[in-house]
Amino acid sequence: MTLNSIFVLVGFIQIALVTFMQWQTYISSVIKTFSIGSYVLAAFLLAAGYVGHEPYLIALGGLTAVIRAWFIPSFLSRMLRRDRWRAREIKPVLGIASTIILSLLFAVFGYVIYAWTMYDYVHSALGAIPVALFLQGAFLIISRRTPTTQLIGYLVMENALYLFGFLFPELPFVVEAGVVLDVIGTIMISGVIVRLKEEPAQNADVDDSTPREDFTELRG
Amino acid sequence: MLLALSLLQLLYVLLLAPLAAGILVKIEEVLESKKGPSVFQPYYDLAKLFRKESLVPTVASPFFMVAPYLTFAFYLLLTLVLPIITAFPLTFGPVVDFIGGGLVFGAAATVKKLAAIDSRNNYSHLGTSRAASVGALSEPIMLLIFIMLGVISQTNNPYVINNVLQTSGAWYGSLVHWFVTIAFFMVLIVETGKLPIESHTMGELGMIDQSMEMEYSGRELALYKWGGYMKHFLLMNVFMNVLAVPFLVPMTPSTTALLVYPVINFIKILALLIVFALLNESVSKYRLFRIFDYVSVTFVFAFLAALVFFTTRTGGGFR
Repeated sequence: MTLNSIFVLVGFIQIALVTFMQWQTYISSVIKTFSIGSYVLAAFLLAAGYVGHEPYLIALGGLTAVIRAWFIPSFLSRMLRRDRWRAREIKPVLGIASTIILSLLFAVFGYVIYAWTMYDYVHSALGAIPVALFLQGAFLIISRRTPTTQLIGYLVMENALYLFGFLFPELPFVVEAGVVLDVIGTIMISGVIVRLKEEPAQNADVDDSTPREDFTELRG
Repeated sequence: MLLALSLLQLLYVLLLAPLAAGILVKIEEVLESKKGPSVFQPYYDLAKLFRKESLVPTVASPFFMVAPYLTFAFYLLLTLVLPIITAFPLTFGPVVDFIGGGLVFGAAATVKKLAAIDSRNNYSHLGTSRAASVGALSEPIMLLIFIMLGVISQTNNPYVINNVLQTSGAWYGSLVHWFVTIAFFMVLIVETGKLPIESHTMGELGMIDQSMEMEYSGRELALYKWGGYMKHFLLMNVFMNVLAVPFLVPMTPSTTALLVYPVINFIKILALLIVFALLNESVSKYRLFRIFDYVSVTFVFAFLAALVFFTTRTGGGFR
């Protein structure tokens, strides 16, 4: 089995796991699925580092396993146990079936964009996998209202960037995509902070931004 | 020789399909720490039904009585054309390929639905509506699966697909093959009415398939039931013999292999029955509208097989 075929396997496992996340309404299932995806990614990086005798890949694999696969999911799970009302996605933006199909369409769209733009320069079809995963992660963010799932969507986008960076470490795209992620992350965090400041008594679902009449009346 | 083997295959499916159904029930009962009925219970049920009087709703047309015989004949035809005990085509093998087989399965399902509507029973109408809704989504997935199998073998012939997967380790281990296999397994659950799609209780809230034959009795009900056992057995065989475990199916006529393989085949089916029993005992039934979520995921897996092929073919699929 070549490194390329392992890359395809890992990439498509990630895509399948994002589909599974779109299927789930319970947030804990989404967190566990992300954790599994991160462990797979960490194993891939460790294996690639071991085979290619590249210590920085081994270190990256270890860090991925500890931080992304273990620490972040356990922290989020602890938060869920504390705030039981966050346990499930109550009001999805779209129906689950439509979301799953749209997520697949985003993956196909990623392939099309990649074929039209980057393929001419890099001549490797494998690069389409992280682009598809990147768009699927972005769609996970906009298709859910709970901040926890949106955060997971953001982390999925980061996983996609990992894969892209592994394929093309020399490309400036990796830096630019990293900047895009930082911007998205900043917007997400500021959105959550603004929301929490506005209505501390209510939940922090990002999309639920219409002030309720009863609360407005209470405020006077 | 081929004709004799065809008859052997026909007898094998006709006789063992009810046993597979009986074994599934028995495993489920054992998993629930119960004794359960005998594995031969489906035979006793069929024998009893064949002796019973047939009752027909006064409002039903003659088609109502013809439908069970027609569907049973469709399943007999499918038994003669699918790779069950051999991986080389028998006498009727060249009649249809996978797409043709799918059409015959579809025709049997359509006849059953028409007859259910003809019975004018409210529950039958309910079941028909549900089966049609789920089928309208699962059948195209089946087609996509067959297209991807065509990609693997350059044909839609189930025998050739078996031969390719038996002999080519690269295709057998490929992600294309495994995504197709996962998608087919998920469709198999839909088609055979296993949990989490259908629970075989008499609660009308979850009924799909069994409500369609509610007005039948006697010989016609027996044929429907027997046809149902055969359908499940055939689909399980397609899954095991062509996709999941295509190995050991005799690719050339050899007396020893042909005598031994039916036993191996039944062991493969037993393994699948254990998986089904574990699923049935550990998964709860989806609400009806959530079945479409499940079907969507199945579609994604079938489509991902195409994406994998697109990515991994020589030079990528972009040019």
